[in-house]
Amino acid sequence: MQTRLHFAALLFTSIAFTQVAQADQLATIKAKGELVCGTLGTDEPNSFIDAKSRQLVGYEVDLCRAIAQGLGVKAVVKQLAVAARIPELQQGRIDILTASLTHNKEREALIDFSLSTFYTGQRVLVKKSSNITTVAGLAGKKVLTVKGGTQEPNIRKAVPGVDVVTFETAGQAYLGLQQGKGVGYVDDEVSLLNNYAKLGTAQKDYLVLPQNISQEVFAFGIRKGEKGVKTAVDQVLRGLEKSGEAEKLFFKWYGPTSNVKFEKRTFKIESDKIDA
Amino acid sequence: MFDLNFLLSGDYRDWLVSGLLLSLQLMGITLLLALPLACGVAMLRLAPSRLLNGLGAAYVELIRNVPLLAHFLFWYFGAPELLPETWKERLYAGNIEAASAIAALTLYTAAYMAEDIRSGIRAIPAQQFEAGRALGFSFLATMRLCIVPQALRLAAPPLLSQTLTLWQNTSIATVIGVAELMYQTQRVEAASFRSVEAFVFASAAYLAVSLLIAGLAAVLQRKVS
Repeated sequence: MQTRLHFAALLFTSIAFTQVAQADQLATIKAKGELVCGTLGTDEPNSFIDAKSRQLVGYEVDLCRAIAQGLGVKAVVKQLAVAARIPELQQGRIDILTASLTHNKEREALIDFSLSTFYTGQRVLVKKSSNITTVAGLAGKKVLTVKGGTQEPNIRKAVPGVDVVTFETAGQAYLGLQQGKGVGYVDDEVSLLNNYAKLGTAQKDYLVLPQNISQEVFAFGIRKGEKGVKTAVDQVLRGLEKSGEAEKLFFKWYGPTSNVKFEKRTFKIESDKIDA
Repeated sequence: MFDLNFLLSGDYRDWLVSGLLLSLQLMGITLLLALPLACGVAMLRLAPSRLLNGLGAAYVELIRNVPLLAHFLFWYFGAPELLPETWKERLYAGNIEAASAIAALTLYTAAYMAEDIRSGIRAIPAQQFEAGRALGFSFLATMRLCIVPQALRLAAPPLLSQTLTLWQNTSIATVIGVAELMYQTQRVEAASFRSVEAFVFASAAYLAVSLLIAGLAAVLQRKVS
């Protein structure tokens, strides 16, 4: 009897969960009154902990808040590890991914993407003492990067025979480069330039290799098949672009007064297509 | 949806197998280094000198009261930075990831094993030690020739259980970029998005080796008692 009761309880809970999963996610978000965004919190200026206020801030955090406001709900920002992003979204522990997420063809099979929110490339930072001046010069050398992102496959594709060591956060990989545990550190252009800017006077010992190893388009991740959420998110993003708010946010985090010092914005939030 | 086959051929299989082999190597090398160190620490704790006792106790408490993850991060990111420049460069040119992992695992495992060996030594009747000294052997010679061999036999089952823990602890080395089984599993997951299959493989591999060690411990236990 005990076992049968347990079994029934188990069956009941699994049915209950399935039904939650089957319900329209947008309606669920509105009903609970909050939009849970999954973010990295370790990737300045997209999402990071502000040293003074100790709050999670950044370009993607602001966009998350704007989307929540557009939907008329409260924004809740949750920190995720790079490798945990897609599983957390698939398992429903977060509503959307605003986590420096590259939109690529492989991932389209698993999740849907919003309009592209940022266009960038991936670069390599090396120590000048290594005498490496081109990406091709990294062949056979040890480079460091973050675990679970597109950085590792991209550098392997760009430089056959490179030795890649990965860490839980980009910060650890960057620390490894500074300590001399590898000759290069691979990351998204913005994160990399941001870290480079923090070197201060030590910049003279480092070199950002001029070539991009890949083109990256960032977008927000949405659970597969949730059309309602996608439409609503895209609509808010279009509105932000139209009102000039998106451009303002870009310059707030990437503009001349930021660490990365971008002079202009070369893209608009308008498309969810990527090149193959 | 669940499909283990894609793991059993090509790149993914090679990654996972190389990870498993490296994990086994980490365990083997650590065991070889930790056992003598543990004997030394156990001896310190039983030596006829307050200072040496204190030294042994300090080692055990210092190591055991800090989480293993912190040990790994310290030996990888912290400790080597204190070395002179030329040593550092030579160290970093080699496999610093594995070297740091072995340092962390060895010191950590030895602290636990030392306590098991100390218990083993204390289980040998004190009269044997007194007899050794009465025959004119020094402290070290009595220990080496008479007490420790018997104590190790007695301590074998708990030492094997520490080995089991050591085997599982090798997985934490992934945080400092050691390409062991957990690292390669995460790599397969990141490349294929097949989390379930990749972790099923890793779990099965950890379980299989663990069961083997546990079986060995059970056999030894029966022999000793």
